Amino acid sequence: MLGPYQYIVWLICTLLEAVVLVCAFKKNAFRRYLLLNVYMAASVVMSIARYDILTHYGYASKEYLYFYFYSDFLLTIALFFALTSLYSHIFAEMEVGRYIRTGAVVLLSGTAVFSYAVVQQSNSRLLTHFVVEISQNLYFVGLVLTYVLWAAVLKLRETRSRLIQLILSMGVYFSMFAANYALMNLYQNRAAVFEYLTPLFGCFLPLAWAYTFWHVPEEARTVPSRLAVVPR
Amino acid sequence: MSRKLTVVLLAMLVLVGAMSLKTVVVTHGDGSVILANGGAPLPPIPWKNGGAPLPPIPWNSSKAPQQPTPGK
Repeated sequence: MLGPYQYIVWLICTLLEAVVLVCAFKKNAFRRYLLLNVYMAASVVMSIARYDILTHYGYASKEYLYFYFYSDFLLTIALFFALTSLYSHIFAEMEVGRYIRTGAVVLLSGTAVFSYAVVQQSNSRLLTHFVVEISQNLYFVGLVLTYVLWAAVLKLRETRSRLIQLILSMGVYFSMFAANYALMNLYQNRAAVFEYLTPLFGCFLPLAWAYTFWHVPEEARTVPSRLAVVPR
Repeated sequence: MSRKLTVVLLAMLVLVGAMSLKTVVVTHGDGSVILANGGAPLPPIPWKNGGAPLPPIPWNSSKAPQQPTPGK
């Protein structure tokens, strides 16, 4: 059964997602980071729809279960393309947009094939298992892609603060969930702690993006390559 | 052509890296899922320990009613 804590965190998270859209719109970053904002808008819509289904059918209902996982699948794909759009921003000067799109499609297809290969032996609820599997796999693909992108930022000496902050917040977000999952499995006797902790992590990305859009102007510059300087 | 092949190769390398990372992270998992889009509460998962059907438990067969023997 859900307690007030879960509802409050969920509400805060949804509000923060809406705040990201407002901040991006106010600071004229809506179109520039369109796919990021599309992801946030989709998150808000899905949150409202999930709440509607939860109140109509109940927490333990099949309707909520199926809607949760299918909507999560769509959101993960949206997040994947949002991440791909950050690649396009970083490599904009090299005019390799076509190759980035090809790479994204190949990666998405590869993940789908791999996920199908994993779940094909499951004879019941094949599609649902596939949807859950591909969501999880895309999640790890996103994690690796973010680190690759960060390496590219350092290598290309990217200086746009807003872009750097967006990428870093995504890296922290993915890493937080992966670490949380690993720790959750390591300390299964402390499941209650993680039950409270996990929903809070969901608020990190909208909070970081809202802060970035509101406080970091497009013209701001930093030098992240200094972080990678090794003393000789 | 070679550029396209390089892109495909890089995509496959990322996929291999991601799946290896996933294997490392979920090795000792209990079948729970890692999903992180929004703050909505994760529904209780009926297939938490994999999707395979539960096999018949052999040590329960002793309690089952015995079939009538035709000779008796």
